[in-house]
Amino acid sequence: MLNIQPIPIEEVKDPELLELMAQAKELGVPDEEFILVLARVPSYAKPILKAMLMAHTQGNVSHSLKEMMRIQLAKFAGDPYFSQLRSKKALAEGLTEEQITSASDDYEDNPHFSEADKVALRFSDQMYLDSQKVNKAFYDEMKQHYSDAQVMELGAMMVLHYGMQVFMRTLHPKSSSN
Amino acid sequence: MATDPDQIDENFYDQLKKHYSIDEIVELGTFIGMNIGYHTFYGTLDFYPMFSPDGRLIDQDESRKIYGTEVKSLTGRGT
Repeated sequence: MLNIQPIPIEEVKDPELLELMAQAKELGVPDEEFILVLARVPSYAKPILKAMLMAHTQGNVSHSLKEMMRIQLAKFAGDPYFSQLRSKKALAEGLTEEQITSASDDYEDNPHFSEADKVALRFSDQMYLDSQKVNKAFYDEMKQHYSDAQVMELGAMMVLHYGMQVFMRTLHPKSSSN
Repeated sequence: MATDPDQIDENFYDQLKKHYSIDEIVELGTFIGMNIGYHTFYGTLDFYPMFSPDGRLIDQDESRKIYGTEVKSLTGRGT
């Protein structure tokens, strides 16, 4: 049982929120547990969920790469809920559990990841563990592989998802946390 | 939540519920989560306030001299 209980799904009446929930269900991230906690405050739930879905699935950077970054961040955040969810879209694109595991571990040595993949994974790896390393030299390296717009796209995606992962982590009673 | 999320446990939520409604706690939790995410990311982008403490519009070089290059809120994080 979470520290804040989700509301019953029958209580969600807002058509925009219901549409966003349908999009999230199709994607698989986030699932209803998180959304129904958020749905206690519909005025927050709609823009946050919309931004999470947009940042994860739209833009000009590979969705599968973002999915690996999202799961890596969830593991660092210590959040068992978000780290276990998987994007159905990324899996359909061919993303494997081996790649997901490597993205949170030995990605630097994995020959199957491109240099562009590796620097993006380092971006999410360092951002909330040691942000001092995400400095000018790091951004210069990022810009060899990504446009400024793509860097901001990845940054915004990390911001939204990591922030909600940290909040969700606190909602799990400690006895049930991984 | 930002520096030691393990401290935000059942007891902490019980304490919060004495002062805030469940809906207000969700509002605060999402607000804090967003701010944790944004402030860390924006802290890495190396940009500075547009205005001096006395309200003058200033360029980034002057702002850097006034406000310093170290994001103090991030000092010691991740160690």
